[in-house]
Amino acid sequence: MKILSIASRNVFRNWRRTLVTTLAMGFAGFIMILFASLMQGLMQGSEKNVVSMDLGDIQIHAKDYREDPDIYKLIKDPDRILSELKKAGFHATKRLYGFGLAAAGSTSAGVQVRGIDLSNESTVTQINRHLSKGIWLQTDDPRGVVLGRKLARTLGVDIGQEVIFVGQATDGSMANDIFRVTGILKSVGEEVDRTGMFMTSQSFRDLFILPEGAHEIAVMRPDRTTDLAAATKIVADLAPGCETLNWRQLKPVIARILDLADSQMIILVTITYTAVAMLVLNAMLMTVFERIRELGIMKALGVTPWQLMMLIYAETLVQVVAASTLAVITGCALSRYLEYHGIDLSSLAEGASFGGVAFDPIWKAHLMAKAVEVPIVFLFIMSLLAVLYPAVKAALIQPVKAIHHR
Amino acid sequence: MQRNLITVFCLVFILLCPVAGVFAQTDEASVKKAKEILRLLDDLWRGTSSHSILAMTVKTAHYTREMQMEGWSKGKDKTLVRILAPLKDKGSATLKSGSDIYSYLPKTDRTIRLTSGMMMGSWMGSHFTNDDLVKESRMDQDYDPSISFEGKRDGQDVIEFTLIPRPAAAVVWGKIVAVILAKDYMPVKYTYYDEDMKVARTMTFSRYELLAGRTRPKVMRVVPADKPDEYTELIYDKLELNVDLDDNFFSLSNLKRM
Repeated sequence: MKILSIASRNVFRNWRRTLVTTLAMGFAGFIMILFASLMQGLMQGSEKNVVSMDLGDIQIHAKDYREDPDIYKLIKDPDRILSELKKAGFHATKRLYGFGLAAAGSTSAGVQVRGIDLSNESTVTQINRHLSKGIWLQTDDPRGVVLGRKLARTLGVDIGQEVIFVGQATDGSMANDIFRVTGILKSVGEEVDRTGMFMTSQSFRDLFILPEGAHEIAVMRPDRTTDLAAATKIVADLAPGCETLNWRQLKPVIARILDLADSQMIILVTITYTAVAMLVLNAMLMTVFERIRELGIMKALGVTPWQLMMLIYAETLVQVVAASTLAVITGCALSRYLEYHGIDLSSLAEGASFGGVAFDPIWKAHLMAKAVEVPIVFLFIMSLLAVLYPAVKAALIQPVKAIHHR
Repeated sequence: MQRNLITVFCLVFILLCPVAGVFAQTDEASVKKAKEILRLLDDLWRGTSSHSILAMTVKTAHYTREMQMEGWSKGKDKTLVRILAPLKDKGSATLKSGSDIYSYLPKTDRTIRLTSGMMMGSWMGSHFTNDDLVKESRMDQDYDPSISFEGKRDGQDVIEFTLIPRPAAAVVWGKIVAVILAKDYMPVKYTYYDEDMKVARTMTFSRYELLAGRTRPKVMRVVPADKPDEYTELIYDKLELNVDLDDNFFSLSNLKRM
């Protein structure tokens, strides 16, 4: 206790230096908290785009469908699988996929048509609320289609305008019809943005002459904190003869990027704090050398080396605590602000994506305990490591030499 | 239909190319012979223009379709094909003008232009791609021909040409092997190899009958190598060559009017 009170007195003796050191530590901590929240926000946003907008947690396909998405490779009894999945507590929806050409005016583009089961899709994904313009598909509007944002731009169409689709129906005849754009999606991922054309499953079945079956069943766990691999196993057992994969297996690159986010954070924290540690080391070394005679006298008066070391540590600790408080207050405040308002990157990063997953152009932070814990804990560890040398130096002072020190 | 017309053109070109190429490097007699083959093959399918009625049968693992169509062509750049039957597709028409392909869809009453993304797509559900239409007519410029076999095969005297794409040519095939009958230079079989030199598809000719004033193969059948049970067969019911067709006939407005 005494050490602590002496330490806090010492800290204020050269208050300018203390201020600079504390501010530097505080600023580094603030930046790290902010960075962690932003990364967390980016990762959560990406995972949300992958899982909640498109894939779902788990997907079922007919065997070999994914290697060669052939319209004839159907899941035979999707309704039975669907009802069993629902009995087991999962949310699930059927999807149909077809390929062809969409044309508007004199432009055309290759599209992937998605037949959506309107009543179930919204229990699995939130894509029905992910529109930048217009409205989602309606059961009573069989000619309505929703387009991916880049596709809409390529075709030069807006809400209410017509799009012609030409493809090949399952009987070999030409599948063609006129549709009307009811909605344009926000960015979801490269594939959907560039080629996605969504219509009701009934319109799809009429267009492609495909009365039954489904190409894909997308499944969502009721509780997303449960074990994904275990859930995948349960779903796979309900769909024998099909291929059942979870989103991590479907998009391994993205799963990997998300997993690496944490270690990325640690690396960055280490680099930044190494610089801060140098600063702390320098400042504390200065205080030790500056007060070498004083420390020598203390030692001559019977202060043990251990107590001297503790004194230096206590002085550092006072500054680190102050810096941490500063960092937590400012870092959390700004992160919290960015959680609601985000950084608008739409002007410089419009339509940017990595690994096929779209960035939300409004980059929002997500403040989690981890985003505060890691920077603060590391700040303590790094500062206390840095001060080891000055503290040992102080502890090993020889009183006689120190008193005569000039 | 457009497909077949095009294919026919292509074939002719293919044949022509080898003949011409071989010719340049050999003695005068073979030059003369090659020239003759070239001329005959040219006469076989090409006029300044053509009008034909064809039947197309497409057999796949999932369906078998029969279609009737009517086609017109002028030079090698202009082709117009209209579906006569079945009823569902009646009136659908395809126009090839230069390197553009347009499709008219009667159901929607719209004309669309096919873009590059659609080029490898199947044409009318057959084993031809839209790309066949545009690309094949340039084979004469894109391949180096050589005679790889001359003599008896399956009891017939045949000549086999091997066509290798020129280094700079933007073609989809790695090689084409064309077999023709030695006695009258009728095409027998063409084998298309992909870039890995694996067989991609074969085209066989049969029913050499009188058509537009001389003997020609009436039937052409394409079999994709990866699906040997499937095929697309084209049968010429009627062929008229050197008919009088105006350039305006191959216009977008006429595509719709039909």
